[in-house]
Amino acid sequence: MTAARAFAVVGFVAFALVVLVPFWWIANMSFKTYEQVQFATSIYVPRPFTWANYTALWLDTRFPLWLRNSLVTAVAVTALTTVMASLGGYAIARLRFPGREVVASLILVLYLVPPALLFIPLYRVLAELGATNTLASLILSYPTFTVPFCTWLLIGFFKALPHELEEAALVDGATRTAALVRVLLPLAAPGIVASAIFAFTLSWNEFLYSLVFVSPAELKTMTVGVFSELIRGDIYYWGGLMAGACIGSLPIVVAYVFFLDYYVSGLTAGAVK
Amino acid sequence: MVNRRQFLRVTAGGAASVVMAGGVPATAQTRELTFLTIASFVPETDKELKRQFEEWGAKNKVKVRLDIIAHLQLVTKKASEVQARSGHDLTALGPGLGDADLYFDHLVDLNDVAADVAPKNGGWMNPNDYLIRGKWKLLPWWMPPFPMAVRTDLLEQIGEKNPDTWEDWLRIGKKGKAIGHPFGTALGHSGDANVTLLSIMWSYGASYVAKDGKTVAINSKETRQAMEFVKRLYTEAMDPEVLAWDDASNNRCLNAGKCIAIHNPISAFESAKRDKVVIPGTQREIAEVIDHVNTPRGPVDRRTTTGYWCVGIWNFAKNVDLAKDFLRYHFQPENQAKWVDAGHGFNMPFLTNLTKHPVYKSDKQYRFIPEVAKVTVPPSWPGPTTASSQQVLDLYILPDMFAQYATGKMTVDQAIAWAEKEMQEIFAGRKRKF
Repeated sequence: MTAARAFAVVGFVAFALVVLVPFWWIANMSFKTYEQVQFATSIYVPRPFTWANYTALWLDTRFPLWLRNSLVTAVAVTALTTVMASLGGYAIARLRFPGREVVASLILVLYLVPPALLFIPLYRVLAELGATNTLASLILSYPTFTVPFCTWLLIGFFKALPHELEEAALVDGATRTAALVRVLLPLAAPGIVASAIFAFTLSWNEFLYSLVFVSPAELKTMTVGVFSELIRGDIYYWGGLMAGACIGSLPIVVAYVFFLDYYVSGLTAGAVK
Repeated sequence: MVNRRQFLRVTAGGAASVVMAGGVPATAQTRELTFLTIASFVPETDKELKRQFEEWGAKNKVKVRLDIIAHLQLVTKKASEVQARSGHDLTALGPGLGDADLYFDHLVDLNDVAADVAPKNGGWMNPNDYLIRGKWKLLPWWMPPFPMAVRTDLLEQIGEKNPDTWEDWLRIGKKGKAIGHPFGTALGHSGDANVTLLSIMWSYGASYVAKDGKTVAINSKETRQAMEFVKRLYTEAMDPEVLAWDDASNNRCLNAGKCIAIHNPISAFESAKRDKVVIPGTQREIAEVIDHVNTPRGPVDRRTTTGYWCVGIWNFAKNVDLAKDFLRYHFQPENQAKWVDAGHGFNMPFLTNLTKHPVYKSDKQYRFIPEVAKVTVPPSWPGPTTASSQQVLDLYILPDMFAQYATGKMTVDQAIAWAEKEMQEIFAGRKRKF
């Protein structure tokens, strides 16, 4: 083995450890009994292996309901974000209007404002609208951080597409809308998929807004529900918490695995052949 | 083709309908009372509270909603509800009385409810402690008294019995550590660390704020004595891991069979009993060999503190009178008795008669809890509770001060000077009222 190859292998192993060990640790704990966690026995592999944490989470808490709430919210936010970010990204990248560059910069600045600064004013607005304690409050507020990020992402994608394709469509008699829908959006699909995955991930994992804007137990999202139910003062139900983390990470993993090929192949397909 | 005006009309209408879907305030149609509280350390307590709330709602034809969150989430919820002046009617406050000072202008006066509740329950235990700027801005609800939890089998093994003073516990910790079972108390950023270190400070006659509630009193020879003791406790009787402990760590240490003793409410014992935790390497349940004894005394005093969990009514609540009515109902002696029973004695009310509740005689483990309650004072003792005194605890200045000296990173004078400066800035900042 050459030195370069050995270096690459070591690097890969180190990278895999950094990425996979936390997931393995979470999964490992979720299959442990109370005693194994408490006494730090069977540290690396659960012996005996138990599904008790999963069954308890599913049957003794409202976890299925929280999961559904997270899914409804994340899907709705992703759909809203995809539409708004696609239109916004296209407009900033392709249309000429005064202040275009300023708007583009402002979008980035908006994304950089920490949600921890915004949750109180946003809660106030939602309370005025009578929209708190509904999933709609989350569906309306999450785009405040997903849309700026995804728009910024899509500006780059739209800018990278050749102007000639759109101009050819316009010369052939297509309206601007038709050129966007029939020519540019299909070409930008990899970028749109990537931004949709980001929007879904951000919505799925969101905690602070969900905690503040929604109080009834039946409307909690998974992140808040698990935390509320499985941490009781100085008693942490580690097995259940880890089981919740495992189940919660599945949709994200599936989304990334499922769309990764599409994303990569779409990116390399090229529009100017 | 849809023109721009039509597009705006349709999208604005759609957005409005999304916002309003399910969002029409229920108050327009029915009376609804909402209550935000924290997930109890003993889950049966929540069930009993819910039962009482629903029973009261049915009797009064009021729709009720009890929302339960983890106690760590309460700060964020309170802040957002106060800023928006919208949210629940009743709210849990705590874990200190400081909320009542911090949110003084946002809480309803409860003088009338406090006066109604007291005579039926033998009076409040220490009513002057609960007044904020001379008013009842909250009702003290429950506290988890802090006894000392100890492994009796290990105590026997090292030839010790009836420990009562902090010096006794230091000696026991040293002997325990020698056989692999150290004493355990947090020296990191945790509520338990605040409680235990305050207990030690008071036992030496020290305090961090004077009786006037304004003067920082940390720089004293009594504080130095307390710090010398904690340094010995840390170096001779504990493991360094206590510097990184959170509130769950000491429970884990006791129930994992490692610690010989911890200063903690009975939650560790309760969870060990419920989960039938056994001593490692044996089939014997650890709950059988855990005992609880009085919080230790020192050369000057025997005193401790704990989380003062309280309940209040926001002055922006839609149903203040209904909220007061529910509090009167919940604080009826029979309802309080059922609620304490459900909590297995973990949730002790601040009402004199409830210290005589049968639950404290139902298990020998609980025998010292009423005794501990008698010597339990607010953390700012001997001063009144203020937002500043609460902030000192919230920033964990005391654990940091003790840890800096115990670990040798600062001299005792440096650590005290640092803490004094931090505290003075807090008290001065609150005075400025930004």
